Amino acid sequence: MKTVNKKLYKAKSKKVLNVVITYCVLLIVCFIFFFPCLWLILASFSKSGSIYSFDGFFPSEYGLDAFKTLFTDTTMYNYPKWFLNTLFIAAMSCIIGTILTILTAYVMSRFRFKSRKAMMKGTLVLGMFPSFMGTIAVYLLMTQFGLINQRWGLILIYSAQAPMGYMVQKGFFDTIPYSIDEAARIDGASNFQVFMKFTLPMSKPMLVYTALTSFTWPWSDYILPKMLLQDKDLYTVAVGLMSVADDATQFARFAAGSIIIAIPIIILYFCLVKYMINGMSAGAVKQ
Amino acid sequence: MNKVLTKTKGFFTGIPGKIKNFFTGLPAKFKKKFAYAKEIITQANGKTCASMLIMGLGQLLYKRWMRGIMFLFLQAAFIAYFVLRGASDLFGFFTLGQVEGNAWYGIEGDNSVIMLLMGILSIFALIFYIAIYIVNVKDAYYLQCLDDTRKELPTAKDDAAKLLDKDFYKTALTLPVIGVCIFSILPIVFMILIAFTDYGGDTVPPALVSWVGLENFQKILTLSQFAPTFGKIFVWNMVWAILSTAINYFAGLGLAILLNKKCVKGKAFWRAFPVLAYAIPGFITLLGFKTMFSNGGPINYYIQQAGGSAVEFLGLNSTWSARIIGLCVNAWISVPSIMLLATGILSNINQDLYEAARVDGASAWKQFIKITLPYVLFATTPVLLSQFIGNFNNFGIFYFLRDGYISEGYFLASDTDLLINWLYTMSIDNNYYSIGAAISLIIFIITSVISLAVYVLSPSYKQEETFR
Amino acid sequence: MADLSLKHIYKVYPNGTKAVNDFNMQINDKEFIVFVGPSGCGKSTTLRMIAGLEDITAGELKIGGEVVNGLEPKDRDIAMVFQNYALYPHMTIYENIAFGLRMRKMPKDEIDKKVKEAAEILGITDYLKRKPKEMSGGQRQRVALGRAIVRDPKVMLLDEPLSNLDAKLRTQMRSEIVKLHRKLQTTFIYVTHDQTEAMTMGTRIVVMKDGFIKQVDTPKNLYKYPANKFVAGFIGTPQMNFFEGTLKKDGDVVHIEFKNSDAKITVPYSMLMKTTPAYLDGTKPVCIGFRPEDISLDPEKIEKAHATIKVKVSHTEELGTETLVYGDINMQGNGFDDTGTRIIIKSEGFDEYAADQICDAALNIADIHLFDAETEESILPRIPEFNYIDCSVKGRAISALDVDIALPPAIVCAEGSGELLIPPVAVTFDGDIPATVVEQEDINGQNLVTLDVNGKRLYALSDGVLAEKEQKIALDFKRLTIKTGGKEVAPMPEINGLDGTFAMERVSEPVTKDGKTKNKKVAKYYILMDGVKFPAPDDIANKMFAALSGRKVFNTQFRYELPPDGLAIADEGISAEVKAYLDYGRDKYIQCAVGEENIYVRCDKEYSGTVKLYPDLEKVSVIEKDRGIRILKFIYFSL
Repeated sequence: MKTVNKKLYKAKSKKVLNVVITYCVLLIVCFIFFFPCLWLILASFSKSGSIYSFDGFFPSEYGLDAFKTLFTDTTMYNYPKWFLNTLFIAAMSCIIGTILTILTAYVMSRFRFKSRKAMMKGTLVLGMFPSFMGTIAVYLLMTQFGLINQRWGLILIYSAQAPMGYMVQKGFFDTIPYSIDEAARIDGASNFQVFMKFTLPMSKPMLVYTALTSFTWPWSDYILPKMLLQDKDLYTVAVGLMSVADDATQFARFAAGSIIIAIPIIILYFCLVKYMINGMSAGAVKQ
Repeated sequence: MNKVLTKTKGFFTGIPGKIKNFFTGLPAKFKKKFAYAKEIITQANGKTCASMLIMGLGQLLYKRWMRGIMFLFLQAAFIAYFVLRGASDLFGFFTLGQVEGNAWYGIEGDNSVIMLLMGILSIFALIFYIAIYIVNVKDAYYLQCLDDTRKELPTAKDDAAKLLDKDFYKTALTLPVIGVCIFSILPIVFMILIAFTDYGGDTVPPALVSWVGLENFQKILTLSQFAPTFGKIFVWNMVWAILSTAINYFAGLGLAILLNKKCVKGKAFWRAFPVLAYAIPGFITLLGFKTMFSNGGPINYYIQQAGGSAVEFLGLNSTWSARIIGLCVNAWISVPSIMLLATGILSNINQDLYEAARVDGASAWKQFIKITLPYVLFATTPVLLSQFIGNFNNFGIFYFLRDGYISEGYFLASDTDLLINWLYTMSIDNNYYSIGAAISLIIFIITSVISLAVYVLSPSYKQEETFR
Repeated sequence: MADLSLKHIYKVYPNGTKAVNDFNMQINDKEFIVFVGPSGCGKSTTLRMIAGLEDITAGELKIGGEVVNGLEPKDRDIAMVFQNYALYPHMTIYENIAFGLRMRKMPKDEIDKKVKEAAEILGITDYLKRKPKEMSGGQRQRVALGRAIVRDPKVMLLDEPLSNLDAKLRTQMRSEIVKLHRKLQTTFIYVTHDQTEAMTMGTRIVVMKDGFIKQVDTPKNLYKYPANKFVAGFIGTPQMNFFEGTLKKDGDVVHIEFKNSDAKITVPYSMLMKTTPAYLDGTKPVCIGFRPEDISLDPEKIEKAHATIKVKVSHTEELGTETLVYGDINMQGNGFDDTGTRIIIKSEGFDEYAADQICDAALNIADIHLFDAETEESILPRIPEFNYIDCSVKGRAISALDVDIALPPAIVCAEGSGELLIPPVAVTFDGDIPATVVEQEDINGQNLVTLDVNGKRLYALSDGVLAEKEQKIALDFKRLTIKTGGKEVAPMPEINGLDGTFAMERVSEPVTKDGKTKNKKVAKYYILMDGVKFPAPDDIANKMFAALSGRKVFNTQFRYELPPDGLAIADEGISAEVKAYLDYGRDKYIQCAVGEENIYVRCDKEYSGTVKLYPDLEKVSVIEKDRGIRILKFIYFSL
């Protein structure tokens, strides 16, 4: 009797220890992830703006100055314009890029044509080149087309390169049973109609995922805009903030600018974490 | 360990067989294509031959107006392009300019680099033209086949309907393919070719650039300027890629498992924090961390407050602390995405497996090793691969953390720079374009060999058709 | 509401695998056809070819008299029910059913009427506003059926629709589908791997294996007269018992010996008369089949039985209505494993049998099944291949069936006694040998007549039912095999084969259009046999165009087959050297050589030297030599 009790007690205390350790680790992990963000948020509320005036991680004085100057002082750093630029570029490349990517993924999933395997291998190989290897060439190409210093140049490049990342979407389409396509075809639908009336409505999570990833990419891409946009007024937020960050006295401004663009993206991500998990594992899992 | 050895041995001994299979398959394929071409040439009637001379003529003779006009139009467009630009562009590709510009004398001269670019474009156009020509001839022969066997020739309405149905893939892929060709393939081909010129340094337009063959590669591997730097950076790059991928992967997996535990309440709440870190654009956090570890930054502030002197975390001489900080920051940025992915996959594992293991008396660790790990590894092999490649070519991390430093014994690079950072510094900041392009090529060869090997061997590649 | 015709349908994949081989079938309107067979036998592939979801590699498919080979599924007026229902998940049930009609641009109120009708028939009117994920499996299957019937298709195709349902639901839906078929009066084609489903639902069943049709027949005939061991073992639960053994004819009786067992039975020959005699010599291994229900342990039956064997019981399975007794005819064996001597017997009631008990079992010889142990084909066919008659030849007459018949000049055989092999089709009813009709049986459209000629039994085939009991028969000597005096006279070959190609020529001809006559180049098509050109009839040319893609038809080697009366001696044509003149009495033929081929041509007088043969292309059969695919087949003997 006593040994049984002892065993139960041991097992129970083991369990409790387990739970305690789990939560401790969780707390540490969450602190690690949260703290830098907290720091940035606090920094944006700093009155002075220079990092040297900070009390370690915490500003000495709090105020909304950084936010005010962000939007009013547009002489050196025209934040509102950068924001609008990036919004425009992101929206257009999201629309065009999503359409092209989804079409490509659908076709690669449903059709079996002669050059298909070659194209798949080709895109794979192309994707292995270092990302910024072609940027010089793109720059020269854009000069030839007269699209330097133009927002449409960036939109064109983002949209044209989007279909290369069709694999995740294709993996998703592969999981839609082909018999639905066949039933629709027997009912009289052409492949285009099957795409519009069936595949698209059934792929809402994937559409959202694609639109989301293609929308957020221009906000954080810095190499391409830096090269193609020379006018300060045409900068995107990424390039603009980089120039702000160089100046240590403007740290608060940098933090404020970052917070403003980070917030909508964070909200979007949170609303769609569910879709994100679906999206990423759909591409990865092939069973 | 034995298993790993036997598997790697098997992989390498299997290579000769695979190569042989690839090549023995080729002659048969070519034979078939050649036989079909022979059939067309020997059995073409007058109208098909007309199409061989002028694209679209045969189709018009068969009274297929839409097809005929379309091919004819393409033929005219190509001829116009070649006469106006193409021929000279093509010629320029090989010479890379003959007249040197001189601002003093007002001579415009040839811009070699532009000529190279437009030359590649004209080669693409030529290849495209040949492909369309072949399609045109095949199409004319197809019409002939139908006519000879008393079958009805398709009308324009039939063709249009087909483009939305059986041939929908043609309609849907036209724009993406053109876009990818011009904006992805063209730049890469251009950069590959630059690696074989002497573009860079002083040899930039308006000076003339010329072809130099494999000179750049020789320079990288042998010249005392480049060789030691290349070797050192390459070693560090490999170490970095392996370490960071491993750390990120297992940390992410561990976090996912931790969050998945039954005793954790409010999973969505705990998950929010890593997602927060994931959602903030990368360059922001990188710049933030750079400031955090800088000499005037918060961490040094506390150290100085406590009585110590400012530590140079990311300074010029702090090789190892910079490297470790790099790994940690990269983990901070990448772990959340791995965690999300792993969460999705873990939810797909059949819980019965774990219950059976518990009944059999397996400890939590054993369950992880024998059930979770194999399953997750299998499911995420493509992702693991792309993570490795991504980390190998992770430009941003050291660009933001340690910009602009040049370490001793290195040519135009710091001791934490990856190959891609070195590439950037050389090309953009110092105009060593051709050397930079050669390095890109080397990076590509390394990463592609690894990727192709792993990808082709992975089960994910072979099981495409399971869902159809 | 239409009939289907499948002629020489092949499905060959690019890597050479033949999924469906020479599928030939005529399906009549309102039939319920079931394709049944193990996995991978090609049944689903055939169904999908009928639907249009797979391309037909070769052959002709007609629905309602119209060739539909190249048509899209939507133009074939068919409807299909899938195994996994394939309902559109984002649409309501109403929209699911209405979709096909909407695609066909039907007016809205008509669609509404039809959908409500279909829902009424299937009992799903209450669910019209729901989405598929809110319905159970059985309901979803009904919706799938509703979607199919609402379009009033010519043919209903069902691809294993009940496989995803549980057992009880399956039996319920089975009767629903049969009820539906009766109500709609449409042709149904149903694919399943479950033989119980096939047997209970189909009017005719197609048993397939490895891409070949093994047998097409009504359920009753498949059960009673399986054409090969596969069908015999596939149909019927529990499976038929198969034993290896030999048959030995001994005068009026046949001894059946079982391998690996002491069991021996002796049966009167009259019960096994249709057996191919080659297997009655006691040496050829034969597969003997008895269904468990044709073996009895009832003492009463055992007393009256022709044949009984000893069985060692191993165990029993009691099913309530009957008991399955497992045993072995080999006294050393056990009845658990499926060895060549295991036996399963269906016994009524609850008689107790102890393990290792040895009892007697009666075998119902009337329902015996015999197959060649190697080829697995039935050697006890419903229509026997030959009548084996003893005969003796003396001079120019042959004596058989107690009658002396004069030999036609073409037959030269050795004197002496021997055997005469008469195929049933060689017995004609326009002669002068008296015979009495004993029995007439309709077997798949052919009328098998059992005749009595001077006390000897003779099987014949006739055109329709014979009214008179007394008939006068004759023998068609060109079809007989005569084995006398150690020598054999073979029947005349019925198929002439010639290699050739197909060609096209453009000839300038006056063509009248809108009252004006112009010289235009017109395409003319020729069949070339042995290098000689013959104009090809239109429908044959069209069939060949349909069978081969592109211009392959002009670049392939063909083998052309013609019956003897498909060639005539004329002034121009293929050169042939006359080798012999064959006078069979009622008709005459000459044997000639074209290259290395032996050609037999019907004629009316004797010829010699070189003649020219002109083919009657309406009677030609065409085979593509490369892939061995038969493009056309002409039926030779009209019955």
